[in-house]
Amino acid sequence: MDSHIKKVYVPMTETGFYILLCLREEAHGYGIVKKTEQLTHGEIKISPGTLYGSLSKMEKDGLIQFIREEENRKIYCITELGTQVLDLEMKRIERLYKNMMGAK
Amino acid sequence: MKNFKTEIRFFSIPEWKKEENYLREQHKNSWEFVAVNGLCLYHFKKCEPKDMIYQLDYNPDSIYQKYEYIQLFGDCGWEYLQNYAGYSYFRKAASETDTAGEEIFCDDASRLDMMKRVFKGRMIPLLIMLFSIIIPQIIMQSQFNTPFNHGLLVFFCVMFIIYLVIFISFAIPYWNYYKSAHKK
Repeated sequence: MDSHIKKVYVPMTETGFYILLCLREEAHGYGIVKKTEQLTHGEIKISPGTLYGSLSKMEKDGLIQFIREEENRKIYCITELGTQVLDLEMKRIERLYKNMMGAK
Repeated sequence: MKNFKTEIRFFSIPEWKKEENYLREQHKNSWEFVAVNGLCLYHFKKCEPKDMIYQLDYNPDSIYQKYEYIQLFGDCGWEYLQNYAGYSYFRKAASETDTAGEEIFCDDASRLDMMKRVFKGRMIPLLIMLFSIIIPQIIMQSQFNTPFNHGLLVFFCVMFIIYLVIFISFAIPYWNYYKSAHKK
């Protein structure tokens, strides 16, 4: 993974994290919005402008790939590089969580 | 009783928030936005007063996949209205949004990304004009001592000030989003 990717995506925005998390399975944009809403019990509602921008950027950087199109909805899936970035971010959050619990 | 009206409104490049508020106020006062075209001509038609949230996105790349772009916003409940000078216009009834003031962007990182796209698409051409025309003209016209040259000098100085105002009004929100997006 080159340093540019690491610099841009680690640490990640909360929206970015949920996009990658959801794309471990194939999904289209609105599918990501619904899934994230479900995972966070309605607390995080990704807006379409943010989502569209993130998807284009992640596709350009090779974190996700376009699979096919269904009724004008583009279906994406995470790539090998995307999985590596997500793992890095998960480790960072895990460390954060452990330290937080230890500090209590 | 008039059913249609047209207003001329000029919003400079960084003022899309102002434009969104203008359209929302019009709709509250029973004037539904129909289209914007020509040189800042805003067309409205009479309607029932309603609180509609208007939002602008700047994403020139989206024209290459326009249907997918509009579909995604539509899925999220935003009605696509039109494209004008690279900006896409959307609206949604305030009553349909779950939180007061729902927007098409949900974090400052993506608001900053939009500003970067606007900078690339709209501000860089202005910067090129500033350095290739306005500044050289100010220097050139100040060398001559005729009323005609003085007139031109005043004209280019006024242009220079307008440019300066546009740049400053762009830089301030940009800097605020930048700070907020890099605070993580």
